[in-house]
Amino acid sequence: MSARDRILSRIRKAEAPAAEHLAAPVPGIASLEGAARIERFCAQVEAASATLSRLDSFEALPAALADELRQRNLPAAIRMGADPDFAHLDFGGLQVSHGPGRIEEPATLSRATFGMAETGSLVLLSGPDNPVTLTFLGETHFAVLQESDVKAGFEDVFAGLRAAGHDPRTVNFVTGPSRSADIGQTLQLGAHGPVALHVFLVAGGVE
Amino acid sequence: MSLDNPTTPQFKANARQALANENLQSALRGARNGFVNGRAAARAKLGPDEFDALRDAGRDLKNHVLANLGDYLEAYEAKVTASGGHVHWAETAEDARAIVLDICEQAGAKTVNKGKTMISEECGINDHLAAHGIKPVETDLGEYIIQLRGEHPSHIIAPAVHVTVPEVRDAFMEAHPHLDAERDLSGLDTLLAEARGELRAKYFEAEVGITGANMLIAETGQSIIVTNEGNGDLSQSLPKVHIVMASIEKIVPTMEDAGTVLRILARSATGQDMSVYTTLSAGPRRAEDPDGPEEYHVVLLDNGRSNMLGTEFQDMLRCIRCGACINHCPVYQTVGGHAYGWVYPGPMGSVLTPSLIGVEEGGQLPNASTFCGRCEDVCPMRIPLPKMMRHWREREFEKKLTPGATRWGLGVWAWFARRPALYRLGTRMGMAALRVMGRGRGKLASVPLAGGWTGSRDMPAPQGDTFMAQYKRAQR
Repeated sequence: MSARDRILSRIRKAEAPAAEHLAAPVPGIASLEGAARIERFCAQVEAASATLSRLDSFEALPAALADELRQRNLPAAIRMGADPDFAHLDFGGLQVSHGPGRIEEPATLSRATFGMAETGSLVLLSGPDNPVTLTFLGETHFAVLQESDVKAGFEDVFAGLRAAGHDPRTVNFVTGPSRSADIGQTLQLGAHGPVALHVFLVAGGVE
Repeated sequence: MSLDNPTTPQFKANARQALANENLQSALRGARNGFVNGRAAARAKLGPDEFDALRDAGRDLKNHVLANLGDYLEAYEAKVTASGGHVHWAETAEDARAIVLDICEQAGAKTVNKGKTMISEECGINDHLAAHGIKPVETDLGEYIIQLRGEHPSHIIAPAVHVTVPEVRDAFMEAHPHLDAERDLSGLDTLLAEARGELRAKYFEAEVGITGANMLIAETGQSIIVTNEGNGDLSQSLPKVHIVMASIEKIVPTMEDAGTVLRILARSATGQDMSVYTTLSAGPRRAEDPDGPEEYHVVLLDNGRSNMLGTEFQDMLRCIRCGACINHCPVYQTVGGHAYGWVYPGPMGSVLTPSLIGVEEGGQLPNASTFCGRCEDVCPMRIPLPKMMRHWREREFEKKLTPGATRWGLGVWAWFARRPALYRLGTRMGMAALRVMGRGRGKLASVPLAGGWTGSRDMPAPQGDTFMAQYKRAQR
């Protein structure tokens, strides 16, 4: 008998008491609709020590990104994947490079598939459009999200993933920039991942 | 302490040393309120009773999983295999060590990066890899600090909580001799920046990355890690092989069930609504992916857990390792985690340790409790920790492992307890004596035979009458 069979046989012999698979309650913060949902998302993003600005359209992204880089005293350069929503944009004077994250990445850009109002989280899917390492190696990470993709809570995010038939290697929930309290029990931002996270929330989209 | 030689049987001596260690006491004082206040604030931000309703749901969910564990494990395994991953079953810590070493050797690994995993601690992976010429590098900041100091975690979510800032500085000065000896490490930010810089390069060197798993989803074959630093994600995305180490009870049926657990996990652990990074991983990188590991392995560890199913200790398998019981435990807050002598400290460790290493080795821990009940009050999975510690005390007594003096004392007490008239006479006389001794001050600085109790606090002198006398008066 293999280790697998021995473990499974012990489990099956053990007779743990029967218990139903019940539906769990959904808290009120995960059930918001319309403007209240967007408002909570924005507030939670900031509560998680990230920043957020709102854009009227994707076309406004290059200028807004250049502006953010300048204000943060970062080089006018950005690393991104092959996301089609970025492909047609004219980034003008910004030096754009494509591909996964490298050891030094001052600024990276990702397209988030969903937002989650419940906690102010971004939901990113790995793949050629948005390489997973961009989310963790960028010293400042920029993420773009469309308002119509902001979901109320876990239930709608998971339903959305199933409906779209996504099967990425990783689904990444990101809630604010990296942090640690392991030195002196004092919370500091920028442990191994980004020191700063900025969300561009693009108006509209298709519900 | 080493994992194969727990110092658990010497808990009392360990605790005495911990109490006398001023450095440790200062670190513990610094940590105490943050966790407790953080959880309370996170709980208060939900609607009335919502948090407790989620705790009920978490308890019911894991009871369902444990009742159907075999089926869910098989469903999970099938999904992992379908997504191109490999599942390895490990009955013991030794099996897990052999499996991990084999995968690392196949990958030609010289360096292995580790995200934080307590299962790896339980199995002693680091020493085993090092003994075979493979260098394990802990990347969680707290784990990195204690690895430099040659220690084991003293807390399951804050492994370096016992280390003071000057000690971190000393560890970095010694471990990073290639940096300027005159550099300024006075600020906390300079320490963080130095660790970040040192570890960033290491992420790109390792051939294998090992992470734990907060959950495994049967529906999708995904493993979940929850972190704040991002080190677990770098450890699993950059090397060519990703190994997940998880124990069998980490299964949940669906993504929504994982959501329910996530809603109580971070709030109970650090007081966050959600940890910074929650990552669901399935299989190796897809054909078109530019990054991510080329191989994905899951090591499923039993190591005594299947023997807990269907026993009075089954409820312990609901544990999601948030650390709330540890953070709220007055014993842990006073002696810290290393005194417990093995991998898991605090109330959850006091129940789990004897299950995993035997009551002969771990039986001291369930005695390290005042039964104040705070652990059960804050447990997100409503695990009846005090009740299970009582079960262990009974087993220890039955096996005659309890020290002679304790057995003798319990015997004397039982003799009196079965003779109510004598018992009441005895308590009346004892009370009168204590009242005389504490006259005028209302408290006693020392009591015969109770030096251990009064060594660190005063004993209140009895006020009024015995319970039985008051009870009889009230009945009239």
